[in-house]
Amino acid sequence: MEPVDVVIVGSGASGAAAAWSLSRNPSLKILCLEQGERTDPANYPTTTAAWELSRLGDASSNPQQRNGPGDYPIDDSTSPISIANFNGFGGSTILYSGHFPRMHPSDFATHTLDGVGDDWPFTYADLEPYFTLNEKMMGVAGLVGDPAYPEYDALLPPVPLGPMGRRVAEAFNTLGWHWWPSYSAVNTRSHGGRAPCINLGPCNTGCSQGAKASVDVTYWPSALQQGVTVLTGHTVQTIEHDADKRVSGVHVVTPDGNRVFQPARIVVLACGGVGTPRLLLNSKSPAFPDGLLNDHDQVGRNLMLHPLAFTEAVFDEDLQSSLGPHGCCILSQEFYETDTTRDFKRGYTMQILRGAPPAETAVSAYMSRRLPIGPDHHPAFSKLFNHTAGIAVITEDLPEPENRIELDPETQDATGMPGIKVHYRVSENTKKMLAHGIDKSRQVLEAAGGKVTTAFAPVRHTGWHLMGTTRMGTDPRKSVVKPNGQAHAIDNLFIVDSSIFTTSGAVNPVATAQALTLKICDNLQDYLRQAS
Amino acid sequence: MTDIIHAFLDTILPSDQTLGVPSGASLDITRPTSRDGIEQRLADVATLIDQTAHDLLESDFVTLSSEDRLKIIEKAKRKDMRLMTAMIIHCLRHYYTDPRVLRCLPAGAVPPFPVGNQMAEDDWSILEPVYQRGPVYREVTP
Repeated sequence: MEPVDVVIVGSGASGAAAAWSLSRNPSLKILCLEQGERTDPANYPTTTAAWELSRLGDASSNPQQRNGPGDYPIDDSTSPISIANFNGFGGSTILYSGHFPRMHPSDFATHTLDGVGDDWPFTYADLEPYFTLNEKMMGVAGLVGDPAYPEYDALLPPVPLGPMGRRVAEAFNTLGWHWWPSYSAVNTRSHGGRAPCINLGPCNTGCSQGAKASVDVTYWPSALQQGVTVLTGHTVQTIEHDADKRVSGVHVVTPDGNRVFQPARIVVLACGGVGTPRLLLNSKSPAFPDGLLNDHDQVGRNLMLHPLAFTEAVFDEDLQSSLGPHGCCILSQEFYETDTTRDFKRGYTMQILRGAPPAETAVSAYMSRRLPIGPDHHPAFSKLFNHTAGIAVITEDLPEPENRIELDPETQDATGMPGIKVHYRVSENTKKMLAHGIDKSRQVLEAAGGKVTTAFAPVRHTGWHLMGTTRMGTDPRKSVVKPNGQAHAIDNLFIVDSSIFTTSGAVNPVATAQALTLKICDNLQDYLRQAS
Repeated sequence: MTDIIHAFLDTILPSDQTLGVPSGASLDITRPTSRDGIEQRLADVATLIDQTAHDLLESDFVTLSSEDRLKIIEKAKRKDMRLMTAMIIHCLRHYYTDPRVLRCLPAGAVPPFPVGNQMAEDDWSILEPVYQRGPVYREVTP
């Protein structure tokens, strides 16, 4: 394969932002290698009435259930939370809900403020211009003036509350608690050449309308126009370095099974919090016998997943709750910051979810004995569907070295590359936070007039937010990359995805991950200038 | 077997004239929901409920009243909870993803989506109490 200046591994949230940012320099030859395939919005599940069934197969967030061409084995059987992702062009943004809040200023200084976790090597203010740029590129709806954040510059109009959102918002007001319309990576008017949301409901099987900001329709069209080449179905198995500890390129398995070497001046990893450490751990050499950059046994450690609690209530009235972007309605950060009167450090976001679609409503109610079969079925169903509201409590997950991924020599993907094993437990601090979150969710839903029917934690199939496994820091013994994303041990290897998060915050991570990517890529341009 | 499965579907998901929803028996529930085939499980369910009807009421399942069929289905569930629960869930999933059923529900636009769903304009004065509290995030000084 022809040498390139930069090879980016992974085309998801961070890979796309990196491709766009770096390709603003027209002199760079950039190649992105993606192990999954392209999806076609014209064939997304929501183009058929049976779209809910796709969540059991090709559009499942569980890679073991989906078993797609870019997926690899993940043994998470001993973890209370299973890994969720999507391996394809656009990565997990294809299936995410687009809930897009930033991390808070305090998230960057948890050790200084609260004596837990570690401080990031920079502040919220350092990242702020990149948050703003990213929100413009992605198209983020919301409302400026949120007292839970420093000021935002501009946002698209907020997503509609709907009768359910309004009811729950009024309950927050009754309790005197913070709430705000969700920061949503969903077009509420035309933006970036994409159409506005038409409130269909399902976002998590791919948005055929193109209103949801998955990176295949945001960053990638510009990056491709700027000259980036993308090869899908190409699995990077290992990264090669020379005697001077500089990477020389990557070993790739092509779609037809050929093994080729792709030379590159710089390698940028953007495979996510599980894929990035997997690739490093699989890249063994005499200089790095336990995996590339793993000279201090840090690669794969400090896995953070945002353990999630879920509470659902049923209301007497039809609140049309299944309409509107499913994961984006309102959020509350009343309990986000540390309060010394509570028995845990740090806090959580309450993400109010719209009601479940019909089949999910029927199945979950039947399984919990709230929906009969037979002549009483239909009247009972009509009192449930569109009558529900849910609250997901997203807790801050503090870094712990024992929470980790490692290669699984017992399993392999289609190219022969090992799968992974996940070792993860929910900490005592998080357990207290989850219990607190359930209690407060109950209070809100009951204040809204709902009857709580479901409340539990942790929710198993929610390991979307994969962070911390190649963490960033100034001490090479405790971190894998420097504050600028450059590997401590190898000059021309950069990591730009959420695996370098120092701590997790308590919000969906994509807004922060992409802002971080843009910041690193600005630094990387400086590095390239100096190197040439 | 077809008659038994039709009677089974009509029992668990009967039509409802008030709501206008069709009987489960009028739908094709043999579409697979996963990579597993459904045919063998349907055959197993048919055998189980018909055998249960013979054991308890000395009758074919299809000739029973709706009320008795429902009782037999509940008895069959106790005999093989896993099989029967999986089949009922399968039927619920297919029933509630059928366009004919969805159009009878207040489910909004049904795919394929030529149009979406209109939602009312919001009055954001509802946020006034939140504004009035002032900042709730922690300032961090370097």
